[in-house]
Amino acid sequence: MPFVSGLADIDVQIPFFTQSVTFERLWPLISRHVDEIGRRGKYSHGPKVAEFEQALARYTGARFVIGVNSGTDALVLLLRAAGLEPGDEVVVPAYGFVASASSVVLAGGRPVFADIDRRSYALDPAAADAAVTPRCRFILPAHMFAQVADMGGILRVAARHGLTVLEDSAEAIGMRWAGVHAGLLGAGGVLSFFPTKTLGAIGDAGAVLTDDERIAETVGALRHHGRFGRTLDHFPGIANPTELSGVNSKMDDIQAAVLLAKLTCLDADIETRARLAAGYTERLSGLAGIVRLPAAVDRPVVTTGVCYVYLVEVARRAELAEYLARRGIGTESYYPMPLPRQPCFAHLGYSGGEFPNAEAACRRALALPLYPDLGMAGVDRVCAAIRAFCAASGGGG
Amino acid sequence: MMLPFFAPDVFDDEREVLLGVLRGVGTAPAQRFILGEHTARLERLLRDSMGAADVVACGSGTSALGMVLHAMGVGPMEIGRGAEVIVPAFGCAPLAAAVVNLGATPVFADVDPVTMVIDPERVEALVTPRTRVLMPAHVFSTMADMPRLAEIAARRGLRLLEDSAVAQGAVLRGRPAGLWGEAGVFSFVQVKTFGMPGEGAVVVTRDAELGAAVRLLRNHGQDGRRRFLHHRIGYNSRFDEVQAAFQVHRFATLPQRLARRAAIADYYSRRLGGLRDRGVCAPPAGTDGRSGYVYALQVRRRAELREHLAGRGIGSHVYYPRTLPGQPAFAAYAPPGRTWPNAELASRRALAVPIYPQLTDAQVECIADAVCEFAEAAPA
Repeated sequence: MPFVSGLADIDVQIPFFTQSVTFERLWPLISRHVDEIGRRGKYSHGPKVAEFEQALARYTGARFVIGVNSGTDALVLLLRAAGLEPGDEVVVPAYGFVASASSVVLAGGRPVFADIDRRSYALDPAAADAAVTPRCRFILPAHMFAQVADMGGILRVAARHGLTVLEDSAEAIGMRWAGVHAGLLGAGGVLSFFPTKTLGAIGDAGAVLTDDERIAETVGALRHHGRFGRTLDHFPGIANPTELSGVNSKMDDIQAAVLLAKLTCLDADIETRARLAAGYTERLSGLAGIVRLPAAVDRPVVTTGVCYVYLVEVARRAELAEYLARRGIGTESYYPMPLPRQPCFAHLGYSGGEFPNAEAACRRALALPLYPDLGMAGVDRVCAAIRAFCAASGGGG
Repeated sequence: MMLPFFAPDVFDDEREVLLGVLRGVGTAPAQRFILGEHTARLERLLRDSMGAADVVACGSGTSALGMVLHAMGVGPMEIGRGAEVIVPAFGCAPLAAAVVNLGATPVFADVDPVTMVIDPERVEALVTPRTRVLMPAHVFSTMADMPRLAEIAARRGLRLLEDSAVAQGAVLRGRPAGLWGEAGVFSFVQVKTFGMPGEGAVVVTRDAELGAAVRLLRNHGQDGRRRFLHHRIGYNSRFDEVQAAFQVHRFATLPQRLARRAAIADYYSRRLGGLRDRGVCAPPAGTDGRSGYVYALQVRRRAELREHLAGRGIGSHVYYPRTLPGQPAFAAYAPPGRTWPNAELASRRALAVPIYPQLTDAQVECIADAVCEFAEAAPA
């Protein structure tokens, strides 16, 4: 009676993501920050955003952190501030979230896709090298899931072709290459604080990270209607001259309040994530051959990964996802379609087959629940269900 | 007495509500933080209250304008090259930036010398075969002349986008601001009439198809059913659930705040309406096509009035000290030889005085007294 047992399980759902226990634990701190916002009376682009930017600069080691409305906006403004001109081409990975490539279009450029490395899911330097065109001026690798891209290889490709390196480090908080925080290995990077992220707000928010003063100043102006000079925590700044054709991408102070509270336990959260990820690997390693588990790629320098997403690969992905869903376990298919095959990039004329690694990942990858509120008991349940799926499907995965 | 121009205590009465919705959304079982049930409810409330075909919540008024233009076929970027959009020469930066950021060209039209809204007489002459959209804006307390602009748009085959960001609640000849154009926008940044403790806005439209297009664009071109399928190049311009829950709560008291603002504006116009000969020109009295978001005088000796008010603890604000073609960012779109004399005058003369609903009658009186005192001391 599988239907009945499925119903019984729904009482103890394991959502793909929740942070409600963490949020409630941090509530005294969050509400104190919100009280301070109320006393100052500035609810976006205000003093709490400035405080968060400073705290994040300390955490990442960035000289400049500029808070904006989303990771997507951060990418668009970073590309513009780094000097992208209409028609410039940008090498981007063929696999990942759409903003890795749509940000290029929104900034006025054209994405040139290159395949990924099968182990890190990030831009493959060799493929990127082969994809460079005479109109390419930038290369925009994305750090995926749990580890940094091969930045050594990418920096070499960039040097050979004279490209500026920008990083889509949206999900890479805490990740480091040779001690340098993701986003700071080239001219600049971004962070997304989408709620499911390692450091997540409870709404949209993002940031640009850079050590370059000119880029920082330009992003700071672009986010507030192209106005240079003081605008943060300063109402009259809305009358500053509009030097650039900017946007409104101001961060909400309420999101900054939540983020400041969560930043206090970020390192502990990262440790918890690592422990839960190790728990998955331990419990699922017996299924090697059916379920491919994530693995850290050896690099010639010391790198620091962060288990943002625990991504497995399985041949019968849709069936596994549905099997787990029936048992109240949420998953996500990161990502179901290579970026060049998305309808929104149809005008670029990719036909399929050009990016075998991206295509394989898109067919097989499944993200399992991974967040501090999950607990090892949650990992146990997910793994038991996956083992049951494999057993029921006769080991054919 | 200290009366800052920007009220610092906008949500003081609702502090507990804000903390309540924040904690509620943060710990709710749904764990839905963006574009969820609260947002849908806010959209329905606004849609039904004004009889729109659709209301689409998004990240900001600026991005709302950009997305409607995009949905109307202007841009993005390479695709937008060459398209022209007629906008007023006096107003806020997004009027031009939203066009430029899509790769299109803003064409600036001069404004009416008294009301400071786009002058329909000037619009007609600027239409070319490349003109796609006419984008008038309501300015301070006055709606643009939408009946005439709608007539021009219809006759010349232009799309009509109404920048109604400041004009929520205004009604012209029985039709609400936002519904004169094919689409309009309302901004909810904290200082606005329906301001909230964060950034956000809505697109309002009487065209369901346009509404659907903006729904796609606001969330990366996804249709809201299948995640990670991107039909079009889109944006991240979404609405936070915390803010939506707060706005749903506050919607009931919006009419009171609108009425209070209108009463203050009306009082100012009655007190200050006769000072024109003394160099202080107040907006005309009346309620048709008017809103009480910002009350701006036109003042010959503006800097002196600012100082006079500051000496009495009264804040004031110059919204647009430069015309849009006079901004460095848009200079490239100011054809040599073309001038916008009324916009120039407005940028030199407009001065806004406090009008937020928290002002007491005594404070409002005191502000009017201070302006009168300045004007009466002036040489006739």
